[in-house]
Amino acid sequence: MTTILRIVLIIVCFLTCYYALYKIRKSQMQIEDSIFWILFSIILVIISIIPDIAYFLANLLGIGSPVNFVFLAMIFIMIFKIFSMSIKISQLEYKIRNLVQQIAIKNHELESEKLENKNEKI
Amino acid sequence: MKILIIIPAYNEEQNIEKVINNLIQNYIQYDYIIINDGSKDRTGQLCRKNGYNLLDLPINLGLSGGMQAGFKYAYEQEYDYVIQFDGDGQHQPQYIKQMLKEMEKKHADIVIGSRFINEKKPKNLRMLGSNLISLIIKITTGKKIADPTSGMRLFNKKMIQKFACMMNYGPEPDTISYLLKCGAKVEEVQVEMKEREAGESYLNLKRSIQYMLHMCMSIIFIQCFRDKEELI
Repeated sequence: MTTILRIVLIIVCFLTCYYALYKIRKSQMQIEDSIFWILFSIILVIISIIPDIAYFLANLLGIGSPVNFVFLAMIFIMIFKIFSMSIKISQLEYKIRNLVQQIAIKNHELESEKLENKNEKI
Repeated sequence: MKILIIIPAYNEEQNIEKVINNLIQNYIQYDYIIINDGSKDRTGQLCRKNGYNLLDLPINLGLSGGMQAGFKYAYEQEYDYVIQFDGDGQHQPQYIKQMLKEMEKKHADIVIGSRFINEKKPKNLRMLGSNLISLIIKITTGKKIADPTSGMRLFNKKMIQKFACMMNYGPEPDTISYLLKCGAKVEEVQVEMKEREAGESYLNLKRSIQYMLHMCMSIIFIQCFRDKEELI
């Protein structure tokens, strides 16, 4: 790993962390959702500071260059994250559908009650 | 002085009647509301059948979402104090009085019903987690909280407004550490808790690890960067 790449990685990680924390300060992000990004940046920073970890793991997997290992690992983590987000989105959609249906049923109940009350008055 | 007991319940059909009947018969001075957090069992039907005061959430929001619904209710009905109280029969309402007394005596914002002020913590995995959270709260805020994961907490009016309206105010130890940093006063009162009588605990191994990771990251790292709210 070249020094330039390491420096770039560290800077990007700090920006990611800063942005996540900024969003929490502004109350625009929940703490649960920021933990992934912060852990991700911390791990990347550690690998940039101690590239021996990348060398060791690259050797272990039989990958020629440690840079390639870092990229591969990032791609895997990203695929995993996208997959779990996709699951989360479908659950959210299901929940929203559920909510809309419930609201519609509640409204219908309320309106029919009102109608009944009116009819009784007449 | 209006006091509301918020009882979050998720799949508690075996315990909820006992808990609520005890409150209705022996503690009429406190109002209560059950938050049925999208239970899959008959918790909701049981409450409706018995005419309990119920907020029925159509989907499962989790503990913090359910509690927030309760806080919103308390805020709109202008309650002075809110007590978080489990629906599984672990907590005992006779300690509420002492907690209220402590709050008035020390002008505290939050009073925790703590299992371990006078008593020693038993040594098991769960208490190791509790100890760890105690330790990091002590390091980051300087205040010793003996039982940070206790689910029995009393909040005053100022806190009700915060918990009802703000993001990232879950009823968990990380919020307590944040509030301590903002200058809130947190006290503890020794209480006794029973073992859960029936039904399953929400915390399994995976959830416990997730919970610990979340709490540690949040208390050590994230809470340091949050803006300090002014508590007036």
